[in-house]
Amino acid sequence: MSEHLLSDAEVARFLVTDYHIIEPELPAGLNESIAAQLDALDYNPGDAITEAVPELWQVLDHPAVTGALVSLLGPGYEVQSHRHWHCKQPNSPHMNWHQDGLNNRDVLLNRFLGLYYPTDVTPDMGPTIIVPGTQFRNAPTDRMATYTNIRGQVPLVVKAGTVAFTHYDLWHGTAANRSPHKRHMIKFLFRRTQDNTAPTWNHDPEAANKPADWNERDQAEDVTNILNFTNPLGVSQSDHYKERAIRRQNWNYLMGLSA
Amino acid sequence: MAAPRQRLLYLQARTPSVMSNIIGLTLIEPVAGFAPEIRAESAPDWPYETVHDAVVDGWQIVQFPHLQAPFDDRELDVIGYEFILQKMEVIADE
Repeated sequence: MSEHLLSDAEVARFLVTDYHIIEPELPAGLNESIAAQLDALDYNPGDAITEAVPELWQVLDHPAVTGALVSLLGPGYEVQSHRHWHCKQPNSPHMNWHQDGLNNRDVLLNRFLGLYYPTDVTPDMGPTIIVPGTQFRNAPTDRMATYTNIRGQVPLVVKAGTVAFTHYDLWHGTAANRSPHKRHMIKFLFRRTQDNTAPTWNHDPEAANKPADWNERDQAEDVTNILNFTNPLGVSQSDHYKERAIRRQNWNYLMGLSA
Repeated sequence: MAAPRQRLLYLQARTPSVMSNIIGLTLIEPVAGFAPEIRAESAPDWPYETVHDAVVDGWQIVQFPHLQAPFDDRELDVIGYEFILQKMEVIADE
């Protein structure tokens, strides 16, 4: 398990951008089998998608997936009962920016999504698009209607088998699907069940307590500098300072310190 | 001669200054069936880097962002400060 746990830098990066992408080495033919079953589905089973396609559990049980989940949510993490098959049909338009659910974002890391893509996703297939660092914003979805492209947005153009972990409140949408192919994504929801009393990832106390590096800044690849300097959208100083405070609150929470 | 129509440009800038960099851009053309679109790219190719660039190119600001500072200086809400600009132009329908 420990070889699949995240590093300090990866956890810090997740708190800043609130996405983390892995490419687990799944059994040969698994992605293709899942994609074929999804292609053949003529109804959306909702939460029962794992009953319609039981092989999806092999993805959730892969050590790279469980390692990331333990790192970010602790060993008692829960795979919630809600899950959903998102099938982006050929010739379907883009989807506007939104947050799932109401505008009640949580400043602590207690739940997030896992997005599994069983096929390669090319730019013309209507990839999911996320806006890093937006998870802490108290912004109702209606207020996002005048945004279209945002500098720093990330299209999830991925290889078959990719799992993208994204914060539940991260702004996201999709591009249009202009390809002749269905673009499949299965969304899972994960939740923390107990507060940390200690780090649950591959933690190195020395590496996590380096001083600010005013030369390398966010390229320094250590916790202090990632949390302090990363500004994925180039937001204003006021917003950036607020983000820093929330990130540090999150980090202390995950470390098992008083949040 | 056809009447001019209103082209709209929503720019989300880093700060309330017209000189600050743009984070978001939405162009609305006054043409039936037009729809802005989110594209699968990280660094969109925009004609302007700042609101000022757009003003230099003839766009007029019709709404400035609210300048009142947030009462709670810990909360985060929308991204950037939104300027709405217009250009009145005669548009030839296809």
